[in-house]
Amino acid sequence: MSKRRYLVLFRNRPTGGQPGASPEQMQQMFAAYNVWKEQFKDAILDMGDKLRSEGRVVTASGVADGPFVEAKEVVGGYMIVSAENYDGAVEVVRACPAVHAPGVSLEIREMTGAKM
Amino acid sequence: MSKRSLPRGPRDPASPPGLVEHYFRHEYGRLVAVLVRRVGLRHLEAVEDAVQGALTTALTAWVASGIPDNSGAWLYRVAHNSLLGVLRKDEGRQQILDSAAGPLLDDGEEPVSPVFAGEVRDELLRMLFVCCNETIPQESRLVLALKTLCGFSIGEIAFRLFTTEANVYKRLARARNRLRLGEVDLETPPVELFCSRLPSVHAVIYLLFNEGYLSTHTAHAIRAELCEEAIRLGTLLATHPASAAPTTFALLALMHLHAARLASRRDATGGLLLLEEQDRTLWDGEHLHQGAAWLARSAHGDTFTRFHAEAGIAAEHCFAPSFADTRWNAIAELYAMLERIDPSPLHTLNRAVALAEGQGPEVGLASLDGVVPPAWLDGHYLWDAVLADLHRRVGNAAAAERHREHALAAAPSTAVRQLLERRLTKTAP
Repeated sequence: MSKRRYLVLFRNRPTGGQPGASPEQMQQMFAAYNVWKEQFKDAILDMGDKLRSEGRVVTASGVADGPFVEAKEVVGGYMIVSAENYDGAVEVVRACPAVHAPGVSLEIREMTGAKM
Repeated sequence: MSKRSLPRGPRDPASPPGLVEHYFRHEYGRLVAVLVRRVGLRHLEAVEDAVQGALTTALTAWVASGIPDNSGAWLYRVAHNSLLGVLRKDEGRQQILDSAAGPLLDDGEEPVSPVFAGEVRDELLRMLFVCCNETIPQESRLVLALKTLCGFSIGEIAFRLFTTEANVYKRLARARNRLRLGEVDLETPPVELFCSRLPSVHAVIYLLFNEGYLSTHTAHAIRAELCEEAIRLGTLLATHPASAAPTTFALLALMHLHAARLASRRDATGGLLLLEEQDRTLWDGEHLHQGAAWLARSAHGDTFTRFHAEAGIAAEHCFAPSFADTRWNAIAELYAMLERIDPSPLHTLNRAVALAEGQGPEVGLASLDGVVPPAWLDGHYLWDAVLADLHRRVGNAAAAERHREHALAAAPSTAVRQLLERRLTKTAP
């Protein structure tokens, strides 16, 4: 198992009140996701989850409440993929239907595996 | 248990479990209808937001862990809980909520999703009748039905109705403002509501159908979709005791008989085809069968409406063995009846066409003698096209050429112009 693990962060930029996907488009996305999931089933270790927009930020000086609406981008979800290298991880992530959603960017970060 | 959950797609058993076509869109309509009934029409927008949110949540969750067994109940629970949260948060409306939406806020237990087909049908139908409130302008009724019952987005509606998103939004806002005043509709017993408003519902369904049927969209799927929605709503109507009336059956028959021929109206390149050029083997057998069955049921009682006449005409075309062997005189007679019920120079014109086929172009032309077309039809390509054709066939070359030029100049689209050029330059039979 020479494969490395990568954390993929979904970042959402506010789309300025633009309407989201219609039900029909969602159904098409659902189909596209399933195809993608099947195609990369060996590489997708954890489908991850979506994150709610509210949150807390803890620092030495205290605890601040979210949501962080002022922020340009917020992390909206994550997943974990495995690949030989960044090229391999990028291949999986580029094929993900979420790439095409308005205002979404996906950040890939290799996990060091230090805790193991 | 899983038998009740519809969404396993029957189309391709080899592919991963999918959803039946338009599942999200139709669930949208179902959930909006059911939730509006619980919290009131004035919260329509909050309901639509909650349903939209539930579908978005489903998209992610179902991708990750598959479609739950009872997906409808799953969606209902998510939408219901999020709606509850929003309404609770909205403290400005707290008092109104306390008095009007008590049942929703009081039940702290797991919400029960209406799962019985009959119950869902009733809620969808009630919403349809609510949308068809006469105090809402008709074009707004149509947009409202497309949005709330059929689950189309504003952009999708604009695309299908050939209008701008701003226009759709304006129509929708007008309808929603009206609805806020129409709360009483939710409490009216179905039978009363259904009886008084049935004609308006028929008109909206027919309008929806024609938006698809007469559309000049080249994509067949886009046109068929609106026709399918109209038939879906018409079927709901025809299967509920309070709205199962001969007029409803006639409307449903009419839509099926037109839909049967939808695919054959265009050639492979999207060009329009004349009835006589259509490949009759392409006509949809299931729609023909349904059309005939509903037409038979519409013949009970003593009502004869425009839908009866139009369905009768469509049936004559559908069940004629060929263009030549069509019972043109029966069609001419039906157009005459249609004219008496719903006077329109278009019916006069169609009657002339049928007479020309059945009894000769002279008879057809003579039936138009002294008919003065109203301003909107004078200069419309149909009027000139029919006259050009009839004059040509009786040998009035000059008149034929004059009308032909007018018709070509007035053609609304390239497809129509091409059809006219083909039809009007043929040598006399």
